[in-house]
Amino acid sequence: MIHLSNVSRHFRRGPDVIKALDRVTLEIQAGRFVALMGPSGSGKSTLLNILSGIDRADEGEVEVAGQRLTGLSEDELAVWRARHVGLVFQFYNLMPVLSACENVELPLLLTDLSRPERRRRAELALEVVGLMRERFEHLPGALSGGEQQRVAIARAIVTDPDLIVADEPTGDLDARSADQVLALLSELNREFEKTIVLVTHDPRALRWVQAIYHLDKGSLLEGVEATRATQAVEQTLGVPPRSAAR
Amino acid sequence: MSRAIPLSYTLRSVFQRRTRTALTVAVMALVVLAVTVMLSLVSGIRRTLVETGEADNLIVMRKGATNDGSSMVPIEAYRAVRYFPGIAADPVTGEPLVSPEMVVQPFFYRQDGGRENVLVRGVRPVAFAVHRKVRLVEGRAPRSSSGEAVVGRAVAARYPGLRIGAEMRFGRRAWKVVGILEAGGSSFESEVWVDVNDLWSDANRALYSGLRLTVAADADAAALARRVAADARWALEAKPEIEYYREQADSANFLFSLTVALGVIMGIGASFGAMNTMFAAVRSRVAEIGTLRALGFSRRSILASFLAEALVIALAGCVVGVVLAVGATLAINAALLGVAINLMTFTTATVQLRVSAGNALFALCFSVLLGFAGGFLPASRAARLSPAEALRRRA
Ligand SMILES: Nc1ncnc2c1ncn2[C@@H]1O[C@H](COP(=O)(O)OP(=O)(O)OP(=O)(O)O)[C@@H](O)[C@H]1O
Ligand SMILES: [Mg+2]
Repeated sequence: MIHLSNVSRHFRRGPDVIKALDRVTLEIQAGRFVALMGPSGSGKSTLLNILSGIDRADEGEVEVAGQRLTGLSEDELAVWRARHVGLVFQFYNLMPVLSACENVELPLLLTDLSRPERRRRAELALEVVGLMRERFEHLPGALSGGEQQRVAIARAIVTDPDLIVADEPTGDLDARSADQVLALLSELNREFEKTIVLVTHDPRALRWVQAIYHLDKGSLLEGVEATRATQAVEQTLGVPPRSAAR
Repeated sequence: MSRAIPLSYTLRSVFQRRTRTALTVAVMALVVLAVTVMLSLVSGIRRTLVETGEADNLIVMRKGATNDGSSMVPIEAYRAVRYFPGIAADPVTGEPLVSPEMVVQPFFYRQDGGRENVLVRGVRPVAFAVHRKVRLVEGRAPRSSSGEAVVGRAVAARYPGLRIGAEMRFGRRAWKVVGILEAGGSSFESEVWVDVNDLWSDANRALYSGLRLTVAADADAAALARRVAADARWALEAKPEIEYYREQADSANFLFSLTVALGVIMGIGASFGAMNTMFAAVRSRVAEIGTLRALGFSRRSILASFLAEALVIALAGCVVGVVLAVGATLAINAALLGVAINLMTFTTATVQLRVSAGNALFALCFSVLLGFAGGFLPASRAARLSPAEALRRRA
């Protein structure tokens, strides 16, 4: 599904060049639900942007869903994104002036579907993510964080993409909503066979994902280092979450 | 595949920033108001002048004279021209429809202490037959050698004391108002008409400024004009009255240039205001723009969406401005019968304002231009944002 080989991405900040990604090679099979972890600034978002076609690699090869992204023009890339990728963000990124349902319909405006058909699919997607019907016409501002993220996930799946990428989707949610969102993503992975790449700081994600990739200073950890990093995350999870409250 | 961002998104985004949008609309509206009122004055002047002429009348002046105030026509010339062929006859008296006229431009003193030149036209009774639009709405025509005057409706409106029976002073004597004349909004309404003999004795000379004559229905006006010009005894020329008044529209042309210049200057100011508003809109919606791009909307659709926002603001300003302009012109007309301006030969005339369909269309095009001018840079900045970059900023 996702093949990255020797992908680098540099940013210039003043006189310095920041290596946000340094020769990253990565394979993710179709149908997997994986997490990307690492300290702040380690290049997680940069990697996610590149494999979802939002950003371009400076070096290396990127092939996603059978398409070599490195060769596409900007417009072609936009069309490809609209067809193949669903995006979920930390701050939901809903249009504040559009209702929940209109937000979900937005990506369908790029298709040839008729208006009623767009509406039907948007409502279906909202049902899949479990938003209450009476909330469909509400503006995002009137919804809770958890509800907004559900709407955003509905928007990500409404085009029936092969790949869903989520950048810290639980970062701004309380524990309960975070669990619900993770459960929902896992369900989309199992029932609809979506490939999902999740960037997260949240150790609880470990309960849901099938693999974790660790980034540090733009490089992917491998072998022993990777195992140790995963164990470290497991350890934080080992502490019973409620003991502190008692 | 380049699909548009829905208009509802554009419209609702505009109305989300209510105060800022309202202020920008207000600025646009003021500019449109100013330009539209000025334009209604320009077209008012043109209309006033065009309506003053009769299609089948000729004006006879000294060769080279640009208006009848600077022209002289000797009495013998009048007597000769009267019997030229091709001139219509008065259906009642059978006399030729030739109106000899003398114009002077004395000062009139307004109530506020200011003074202005008013065109006083010395006429004979035939003038009322030659100038068919001129009607007495009150009173009667001045009698010969009686010191009587009729005043135009617009003059009467500007000088509230000038009613029938009132006395007024100009030249070396007092005149008694015996009638009010109306002429379909034309510049005759801004004149005072007296008996030409009275004007002669007051001015102490006996000659005409010009002649107006009506061409017979079956006659060739051009041939008649040639005949007047060809007479070697007097250096005269004749031209259609309509053409004469059109040439007098210089002040309108000047005012039009002034309006355009003013519109450009104010428009630059207003479009900077709109630009500011739109830049603020783009700044506050960087994350939204990034999201739209990430979802697959093209640069072009972002550009179009933000341009549309600027245009919506400009169009709202246009509608408000034109409505205000219509209200303002109606109020001015109701209060003063119009605007007093120096129309020609330095005499003051009252021009009725009316926002025509053409004026409104001009305002519309002007506003669209302002919207584009104000919206283009912000919209192209929005379109240039890279989605990855834009998404790094929090909504
Ligand atoms: N557009 C950019 N311009 C300049 N520097 C950038 C840009 N995008 C990312 N960077 C830099 O690249 C590095 C990696 O950034 P990235 O956003 O991928 O980190 P991250 O792992 O997602 O961090 P976080 O957990 O804080 O979201 C950082 O040092 C960041 O400052
Ligand atoms: Mg990040």
